Amino acid sequence: MVGGFSILLWVGAVLCWIAFGIQYVSNPSASLDSVYLGTVLAVVVILTGIFAYYQEAKSTNIMASFCKMIPQQAVVIRDSEKKVIPAEQLVVGDIVEIKGGDQIPADIRLLSAQGCKVDNSSLTGESEPQSRSSEFTHENPLETKNITFYSTTCLEGTATGMVINTGDRTIIGRIASLASGVGNEKTPIAIEIEHFVHIVAGVAVSVGILFFIIAVCMKYHVLDAIIFLIAIIVANVPEGLLATVTVALSLTAKRMAKKNCLVKNLEAVETLGSTSIICSDKTGTLTQNRMTVAHLWFDNQIFVADTSEDNLNQGFDQSSGTWTSLSKIIALCNRAEFKPGQESVPIMKRVVVGDASETALLKFSEVILGDVMEIRKRNHKVVEIPFNSTNKFQLSIHQTEDPNDKRFLLVMKGAPERILEKCSTIMINGKEQPLDKSMAQAFHTAYMELGGLGERVLGFCHFYLPADEFPETYSFDSESMNFPTSNLCFVGLLSMIDPPRSTVPDAVTKCRSAGIKVIMVTGDHPITAKAIAKSVGIISANSETVEDIAKRCNIAVEQVNKRDAKAAVVTGMELKDMSPEQLDELLANYPEIVFARTSPQQKLIIVEGCQRQDAVVAVTGDGVNDSPALKKADIGVAMGITGSDAAKNAADMILLDDNFSSIVTGVEEGRLIFDNLKKTIAYTLTKNIAELCPFLIYIILGLPLPIGTITLLFIDLGTDIIPSIALAYEKAESDIMNRKPRHKKKDRLVNQQLAVYSYLHIGLMQALGAFLVYFTVYAQQGFRPTSLFHLRIAWDSDHLNDLEDNYGQEWTSYQRQYLEWTGYTAFFVGIMVQQIADLIIRKTRKNSIFKQGLFRNKVIWVGIASQIIVALLLSYGLGSITALNFTMLKAQYWFVAVPHAILIWVYDEMRKLFIRLYPGSWWDKNMYY
Amino acid sequence: MAALQEKKSCSQRMEEFRHYCWNPDTGQMLGRTLSRWVWISLYYVAFYVVMTGLFALCIYVLMQTIDPYTPDYQDQLKSPGVTLRPDVYGEKGLEIHYNISDNRTWTSLTHTLRSFLAGYSPAAQVDNINCTSKTYFFQESFGAPNHTKFSCKFTADMLENCSGLTDPSFGFKEGKPCFIIKMNRIVRFLPSNSTPPRVDCTFLDMPHQALTPLQVEYYPPNGTFSLHYFPYYGKKAQPHYSNPLVAAKLLNVPTNTEVVVLCKILADHVTFDNPHDPYEGKVEFKLKIQK
Repeated sequence: MVGGFSILLWVGAVLCWIAFGIQYVSNPSASLDSVYLGTVLAVVVILTGIFAYYQEAKSTNIMASFCKMIPQQAVVIRDSEKKVIPAEQLVVGDIVEIKGGDQIPADIRLLSAQGCKVDNSSLTGESEPQSRSSEFTHENPLETKNITFYSTTCLEGTATGMVINTGDRTIIGRIASLASGVGNEKTPIAIEIEHFVHIVAGVAVSVGILFFIIAVCMKYHVLDAIIFLIAIIVANVPEGLLATVTVALSLTAKRMAKKNCLVKNLEAVETLGSTSIICSDKTGTLTQNRMTVAHLWFDNQIFVADTSEDNLNQGFDQSSGTWTSLSKIIALCNRAEFKPGQESVPIMKRVVVGDASETALLKFSEVILGDVMEIRKRNHKVVEIPFNSTNKFQLSIHQTEDPNDKRFLLVMKGAPERILEKCSTIMINGKEQPLDKSMAQAFHTAYMELGGLGERVLGFCHFYLPADEFPETYSFDSESMNFPTSNLCFVGLLSMIDPPRSTVPDAVTKCRSAGIKVIMVTGDHPITAKAIAKSVGIISANSETVEDIAKRCNIAVEQVNKRDAKAAVVTGMELKDMSPEQLDELLANYPEIVFARTSPQQKLIIVEGCQRQDAVVAVTGDGVNDSPALKKADIGVAMGITGSDAAKNAADMILLDDNFSSIVTGVEEGRLIFDNLKKTIAYTLTKNIAELCPFLIYIILGLPLPIGTITLLFIDLGTDIIPSIALAYEKAESDIMNRKPRHKKKDRLVNQQLAVYSYLHIGLMQALGAFLVYFTVYAQQGFRPTSLFHLRIAWDSDHLNDLEDNYGQEWTSYQRQYLEWTGYTAFFVGIMVQQIADLIIRKTRKNSIFKQGLFRNKVIWVGIASQIIVALLLSYGLGSITALNFTMLKAQYWFVAVPHAILIWVYDEMRKLFIRLYPGSWWDKNMYY
Repeated sequence: MAALQEKKSCSQRMEEFRHYCWNPDTGQMLGRTLSRWVWISLYYVAFYVVMTGLFALCIYVLMQTIDPYTPDYQDQLKSPGVTLRPDVYGEKGLEIHYNISDNRTWTSLTHTLRSFLAGYSPAAQVDNINCTSKTYFFQESFGAPNHTKFSCKFTADMLENCSGLTDPSFGFKEGKPCFIIKMNRIVRFLPSNSTPPRVDCTFLDMPHQALTPLQVEYYPPNGTFSLHYFPYYGKKAQPHYSNPLVAAKLLNVPTNTEVVVLCKILADHVTFDNPHDPYEGKVEFKLKIQK
């Protein structure tokens, strides 16, 4: 943004100085006006530059934690000696040794390996450990077994290898440089501002040259003609706009920060508004990032548990005896514990020591049963066998809390099929029944159903050990398992999922209606991904994938007409085999897409694919490996809580609460600021004509100059600044979330209609109004309008000290000069008064002002007040300082332009009325901006 | 990077522009078809005609409110300006240099004076009346022909030695030049309470320049503007009015040095201390007479 616009201002400033140079050469007593003007322009550019820098630096400071990397060590064999050196000192050809637990210090070709396994997840997203040996197995370096990569970890084993790439030349380094390499693309708003600068510069230069030619033809001195040219160009440069745009953007950024969207790059504020595709991560963004009990199955029935964030509303039927048993198992067969001292913290927010599923179960039972720790104390644990991957169950034996019951209770949970194997009975409505075939069938159906929802299912069973065989003094041994672990009683199933955040489905629906396509990109399992996608609405309730159709119609996947399916779930494996064309087709044809099991690099491919569709792509991510995609995206959104520093660094925006719905708020704000910037620019452009006309009239008709360049600056940088910022506070005219995202090449910030309407309609009316005030002042002082024409040469002559007016009075040069300044002030006030009307009409583009409400945006009134106060100060406060060219204007002249201001309002209300009455008509096409 | 590849070549751009100028598929010129252009031009013509009409109406109303005899405001003409003849401007204000022995250097100056005084010949003043009163000449009614007011005669011969009639060289030849001082007209302006305004010329004090006081001979005697020339009722009421003049003949100007002469008008309502306006109530000029 700073580029295009400030260059225009710099050119203006330099032109001013050149103009002064020319004037000085021809007449050493030339006025210093052009020097002031050029200096002010330069100061404006520098100040706004500093301001923009300060704004961005403020956001960037939060990133200060970045770059704190722990120096990495490597074991290298040099001069036949093992040495430990910092990894950055490695060179190609070094022989390094790696052992389990080490981070790989460079890209290494293995020479020998003993049981070496590496975790490549940061690079490829494969979460399974990969074994590595010295054999060459594939042409592709990413696939072959004898290369390990920088930044991955060696999980077990040892290896020796030769360094083949270091630093930036490593694979991950290339990703990182890819991330920094793609950062130079212009944001959509920067492109729009540039387009706007082209328009303004185009108008300025063409009008300037046209009048240069006219001036030369009218036999003006060529030097004078050049000065006119410069004055015209300067009059056309909206000096204050750069500052205004920056302030408007930072106001929005501030507003967004309050809603948990921290914007690093100011221009990104608008980018989010034009976003047409959001590639969202699943874990943490769409989901709560914690396992929660979602479903229960007991008494041959599936119950739904509350998975919302507070989880307090567990409304399923808890009267059954089976539930009593099940709840006891859940509470007892669990090793997770709350960290002490959290009694005042809500249950769901307490910190737990234990793995994800146990935590979920602990919180679940704490919510329903109350103090779980107390229950565990009452049912003293005698022995336990923790979960391991061979057993696939967890078991514990407790004394019961019933003092009359001397039996021990054995409770067990684990993989449902393993639990079922160990059971011979099943509890239905609190009664034990034999586990017959039909019951087993019911179990399988329920298991499949819950599994199909992408949930992690656990089975629960218990067994009361007979008191005669296991007396109170019996010594249990977990090693030898001197107790029965079969013929137990099956109690129920319980399934858990990382549930979607409760605000997400609503947010996704909002995105939909706003014409934004939401694509889920996750490393998770397709079934889970699809289940979450369905529950948040990324795949809507009635749309099917090709596989769904095949299953429903009982036909092979290949036979399904692909056009029938609206949704698609694509795995990383499938994506790997796709050509870019196929990916384009996929992205273009399916409105609902889920990418599962994808690697970070594939995320980049997906983003590029979306951008080929001319979409503005927002990407969310948190890992180091997401950073290229975040950089590549038109707007990268990093997670504030879970995000890595690299991701935050690469992103343009940070979601402080990791919540997807914050993005939607951001979109809304982005769209609003685009609309409001349009209004601001329209407001600012309008007066350019009123500022330009005086020069043109001065050149062609030879009137005494109606307004000086210094006075112009007081409009551009004085009265107009606060009002144009005030437009940034304007509320949306209609539901901006119900329209399509703007097309980045068709829906311009400053379009032809806006420029034409501002310049040729309202701008012209303003110019006429301001001229009326000017003529009134001169006429009442003795110079009638007709006598002013072609008076310029005599008027401007310092050597004529008895110029006659229409009454025969004679004016000295200074008396005329003072009258000219009164004329400047009058013209200035005329523009100011009409700019108030302009400000009010710019509140809406289509709706009537009365519908929008005159008083809803209080800042507009602050703006209007500031306009009037600044003008009053300039005229009455500084009227005695001659250098500023203001004089004390008589009170009634402040009202001369009021009828014109009202006319502007009426005309614009008419324009809006016809636009509303005849949408799509000739009027609408030409008048709506 | 996708965006970077979309850079268009020059010929493509030209082609696009040509397509914009004339699109054969839709018959559009510069983005509009001919009929659309006619429509939009008609709209603009109508719009501008209405706007111009409204503006003309406003100006008409404005002109109706303007008094033809007296301006609505005179706050910017509180005190009259003073001008000098001959008026030759140098880099900073009036600078009059001439060489007594070189005729060509001062003939243009006397020529200026002569042509300025042409307006004060008896023929030019024929419509004006002779006034002798020593007080203001107030006229509330329009007593003169054609619904005008009378103006008093001021003829060049009242300037005696500086009229150019007795001394065609206006004293330039002998190094005692005449300068004519004129006070600017302001409608209904009364310069003083009772005594007529008087011109007073002095050397401006310059450091390192010990000068004998300037001796001046004024015409009319005492260098006064007679009060019967005031007040001025404006061009419409007094079409033949001519400003009274005072001529100052500087008698002891040192030769071959540049001196600064300041002529003030001394009157109750004429101020000469405005720091911004060098010609308000006074006139200052540099004079260098070479021999």
